[in-house]
Amino acid sequence: MDRIDQLFNQYANRSSNLIDPEGIEKLCSNLDVSHTDIRILMLAWKMKAEKQGYFTNEEWRRGLKALRADTLNKLKKALPELEKEVRRPTNFADFYAYAFNYCLTEEKQKSIDIETICQLLEIVMGSTFRAQVDYFVEYLKIQNDYKVINMDQWMGLYRFCNEISFPDMGNYNPELAWPLILDNFVEWIAEKQA
Amino acid sequence: MSNQKKRNFQIEAFKHRVVVDPKYADKTWQILERAIHQIYNQDASGLSFEELYRNAYNMVLHKFGEKLYTGFIVTMTAHLKEKSKLIEAAQGGSFLEELNKKWNEHNKALEMIRDILMYMDRTYIESTKKTHVHPMGFSLWRDNVVHFTKIHTRLLNTLLDLVQKERTGEVIDRGLMRSVIKMFMDLGESVYQEDFEKPFLDASSEFYKVESQEFIESCDCGDYLKKAEKRLTEEIDRVAHYLDPKSEEKITSVVEKEMIANHMQRLVHMENSGLVYMLLHDKYEDLGRMYNLFRRVTNGLLTVRDVMTSHLREMGKQLVTDPEKSKDPVEFVQRLLDERDKYDKVISTAFGNDKTFQNALNSSFEHFINLNARSPEFISLFVDDKLRKGLKGFVDVDVEVILDKVMMLFRYLQEKDVFEKYYKQHLAKRLLSGKTVSDDAERSLIVKLKTECGYQFTSKLEGMFTDMKTSEDTMRGFYGSHPELSEGPTLIVQVLTTGSWPTQPAVPCNLPAEVSVLCEKFRSYYLGTHTGRRLTWQTNMGTADIKALFGKGQKHELNVSTFQMCVLMLFNNADRLSYKEIEQATEIPASDLKRCLQSLACVKGKNVIKKEPMSKDIGEEDSFYVNEKFTSKFYKVKIGTVVAQKETEPEKQETRQRVEEDRKPQIEAAIVRIMKSRKILDHNNIIAEVTKQLQPRFLANPTEIKKRIESLIERDFLERDSTDRKLYRYLA
Repeated sequence: MDRIDQLFNQYANRSSNLIDPEGIEKLCSNLDVSHTDIRILMLAWKMKAEKQGYFTNEEWRRGLKALRADTLNKLKKALPELEKEVRRPTNFADFYAYAFNYCLTEEKQKSIDIETICQLLEIVMGSTFRAQVDYFVEYLKIQNDYKVINMDQWMGLYRFCNEISFPDMGNYNPELAWPLILDNFVEWIAEKQA
Repeated sequence: MSNQKKRNFQIEAFKHRVVVDPKYADKTWQILERAIHQIYNQDASGLSFEELYRNAYNMVLHKFGEKLYTGFIVTMTAHLKEKSKLIEAAQGGSFLEELNKKWNEHNKALEMIRDILMYMDRTYIESTKKTHVHPMGFSLWRDNVVHFTKIHTRLLNTLLDLVQKERTGEVIDRGLMRSVIKMFMDLGESVYQEDFEKPFLDASSEFYKVESQEFIESCDCGDYLKKAEKRLTEEIDRVAHYLDPKSEEKITSVVEKEMIANHMQRLVHMENSGLVYMLLHDKYEDLGRMYNLFRRVTNGLLTVRDVMTSHLREMGKQLVTDPEKSKDPVEFVQRLLDERDKYDKVISTAFGNDKTFQNALNSSFEHFINLNARSPEFISLFVDDKLRKGLKGFVDVDVEVILDKVMMLFRYLQEKDVFEKYYKQHLAKRLLSGKTVSDDAERSLIVKLKTECGYQFTSKLEGMFTDMKTSEDTMRGFYGSHPELSEGPTLIVQVLTTGSWPTQPAVPCNLPAEVSVLCEKFRSYYLGTHTGRRLTWQTNMGTADIKALFGKGQKHELNVSTFQMCVLMLFNNADRLSYKEIEQATEIPASDLKRCLQSLACVKGKNVIKKEPMSKDIGEEDSFYVNEKFTSKFYKVKIGTVVAQKETEPEKQETRQRVEEDRKPQIEAAIVRIMKSRKILDHNNIIAEVTKQLQPRFLANPTEIKKRIESLIERDFLERDSTDRKLYRYLA
């Protein structure tokens, strides 16, 4: 049994042979990272973890091997590099989509409730698009049209942050194929600014 | 002898020259010159044509053609110069007469001279390419008389003066005018145009400019147009009498420009007499005149059409948005039909059925009918009224006429699906209460709707008719197999196929024992022959005829709703009942029960029940008893209310909501259809195509379309293109 597996066992639940939420919390505190920190999510992405809150042995091995870490220390040191890698534009879109899927806990679930979306947005985009996230979260809580957000809308928001100048939104055209929720969002902001 | 050559018989010209006496030419010329003088002096009778011709011929033959030609010109010129002086000396009115006279004389002389000189014309002049005699005679006249400075201007002014006089009503010598102007024409087209026509047109232009200004200040539109028409006719008449036919178009253009084109806007918009006034007051003659005059000028009809269109739109808008007028839907629609008839008549009587005006009429109606969101409902109510009683006594042909007119209005509707919903509701009520005036009329209208909108529109409606028919057969079968039921109450059941009829929730209701027994028997009979089906009694849609005997022996047959029947039957077993008792016994929901009791107890002339206290509204503490003193002059009294009515606000909202719900799947179906065939399409094009496809039924909202697209994306029917965000892809 190699060191990666040993490390796995330190956090895994004996009976299920998975790292469960409790284990992850322990891991986080050992890594000196809050469990809502984006880097944990990035770690999950690197592992291609399927179920939120759980790491399987296979996923663990996959992730740590890719990071070339077999001790806690090496793992801790690998996190900044991991973050840089994820933030590369080519990877970030993938990571962003992954984050959404990671939150789909029920089978056949396709959308995420507003509350969770707000939290997710904060984690994933809070540091790069502070203003947009703040406005959008406020809007989501006020509006009544949608009780859940689907993948299409989620990705739409990502494109919005990357392409539309904020807060003037001069280059936004509601007659294009933007998701309706963003049309409404833009209108809401315009009214607020008036 | 035998070698004698054969010689052709030849005629040889004189081998020797004919010597002509040089003096011969002079002598000959003198003869001719003298002859010309005599001709001009009207003294030609003594002349011998043959002799003169031969003289001219000889001169040419002996090579003296030039002398002859020159002499002719010189002599004629001298004569013409003389004539000019004479003409110029003429005073006043005789000037023109003199000119005309001299011209006629000249023509006669010229002809004679030409005849005499014909050989020269055909030989010498041909070969030397000089001007022929006749044209030369004209040119000489032109140069020496017409263009003689002392005559030129005076002639033109005299002619124009005469035209002016005629325009102001004086009578002039038209024959003389014709003659003189024909002279111009004969002298050549350019002479006519330069020396007469152009100045004539300019003067006319000035004249009409002034006159039109006078008229427009002093006349109303109708009168002005009459005057303009009169002037136009006059000018055409003038041309016919004494001008070149080619001038007609030019002079009419002048009149059209000065009298019509320059004042178009002012005429059309004239207060209290312009186009709008004429339309409002059916002034067919004036309108026809305006149409005929304005069509002659560029943008004339366009101007008329535009003013008519904006008037129609304004009038229509006021008509449909006036709350007073929306009170009675049948009145509302009748007004629309009347207005359409009126303008149809205007266009066919006064505007020659001009298609562009028809189109303007249609587009205006389409515009304002849709300004009122209740138009579809009102048109259905109008039809309902007609099919219910309005067509009673009408002949088939007239029925068709009315239905066709209704179809015309229907075509203007943008929200045809709203109409369909209401039509279905109203039709259901008509069929179930047996209140159709004519089955044929109903069917005829359905056929028209099918032709207009396709099979889907009417398939459900036809299903309703089928159900009615099938129910009749079912009833026959029911009573046929239960002969013992022919005593006792008669049950008539209509079995409605869900889906064809407007959906109504089933309302609970306890039927009286006699009735429910029958109903159960029917149910088992029906399900016996149709296993697998489910029957639900729609107690809120039925009616009943009850025979009632009142306190003083009055007998009446009451036509009531099912709910009302349930309530009334209770009084067979009790004299007095409280609201709560009635509610408990019938289990009818409160709002329906209150309405039902109200119609039984609170309506004058129909109050078979009395209520304590006597207030207008039904209170839960009220009690009820039979009105033994009930009277009515009719034996049959109708109390039930199953008639289609204009919806209340909340009902209207509900219907609108249902319509919106129904539109969603239609929009989705359209999107899927389009994407299936195109595979990839960009956003703007999808919106455009979907809107176009749905246009026969309703006007699709782009935001709604977007919502449906997103819903389809979520359900994996479509996806966004990964590189170009404006594109959508169809997912098979």
